[in-house]
Amino acid sequence: MSNSLWPPRRVLLEAVVLVTFAAAAGMSLNYSMVMNAFSGRNVVSLPQKTAQSPEEKLPVPVDYEELDELLAAGALLVDARDRNLYNDAHLPGALPLPLGEVDARLDDFGKRVPRDTPLIIYCNGFGCPDSFDLGVRLLAEGYQQVQVYEGGFPEWRDRGRQLESGGSQ
Amino acid sequence: MKKLLYHLCRLGLAAVFLYAGYVKGSDPVAFAGQVAAYQILPYAFNYLVAATLPFVELLCGGLLLLNQRVRPALLVIFGLNSVFMLALFSLLLRGLDIDCGCFHPGAEGEATTSPQMALLRDAGLMLMIAVAWVLRQQQAGESLDD
Repeated sequence: MSNSLWPPRRVLLEAVVLVTFAAAAGMSLNYSMVMNAFSGRNVVSLPQKTAQSPEEKLPVPVDYEELDELLAAGALLVDARDRNLYNDAHLPGALPLPLGEVDARLDDFGKRVPRDTPLIIYCNGFGCPDSFDLGVRLLAEGYQQVQVYEGGFPEWRDRGRQLESGGSQ
Repeated sequence: MKKLLYHLCRLGLAAVFLYAGYVKGSDPVAFAGQVAAYQILPYAFNYLVAATLPFVELLCGGLLLLNQRVRPALLVIFGLNSVFMLALFSLLLRGLDIDCGCFHPGAEGEATTSPQMALLRDAGLMLMIAVAWVLRQQQAGESLDD
């Protein structure tokens, strides 16, 4: 055995085996999450109806793959993130309705957007709850078709899609 | 004395990586979001990292704790730590002020760790890795035992 700082070949090999083994374990435990992420399906499943509130309406999840068709059919994107993030960049045509300002802005939103408009709400992805919470709120306000795009802003951006910046009119 | 120092470094690193692996491994979606905040990887690859990295940390931490296969484990966490430091350094260069995502995924509203602090902490870990490595190599040289 040498006393140098450089690792012996056996140690290097064992390190590679270690990483491979741990990565395989992680992949097998999180297989569906990773596969859904790569295939453009929702990674996070939305909460299901609970026994306590069978009457309450919940937003419907929408995958990245279904977005274009829904948008072409006239669905309106709603951005639930902070105003600053919206101004930096948002999905084309999206209206800002930050969850934190919803009480102050809902009247205005309601005047501009008819109740029968199909809405697709998004936020920061990765299990970000704001789009879902806003969806529940908008359903309670009488909007009939409310969907949540779980991948949200990060997925859209990282797929190289067009973004807009600046405030809304 | 050397022995004590070696075991202190080994156990300290084991505790850090077992803890880090556990908290991130138990909420992979939130951890993927933290990786995505670095804006280095394309969307789905953040999930790939979140699925695997915590388990590499857990396995290395476990081996260090049990004093088994210590040099391979040290080598791997040296590699991980180097990547973490590069990523943190890139945050500084790009002026991104995000939580480092080192430990608590989804700890919104709680105190977050700035890139500077995280770099400093990683430098401390690097030192412990180096000390443990040198002492372990010496041991291996003396006893042929690993």
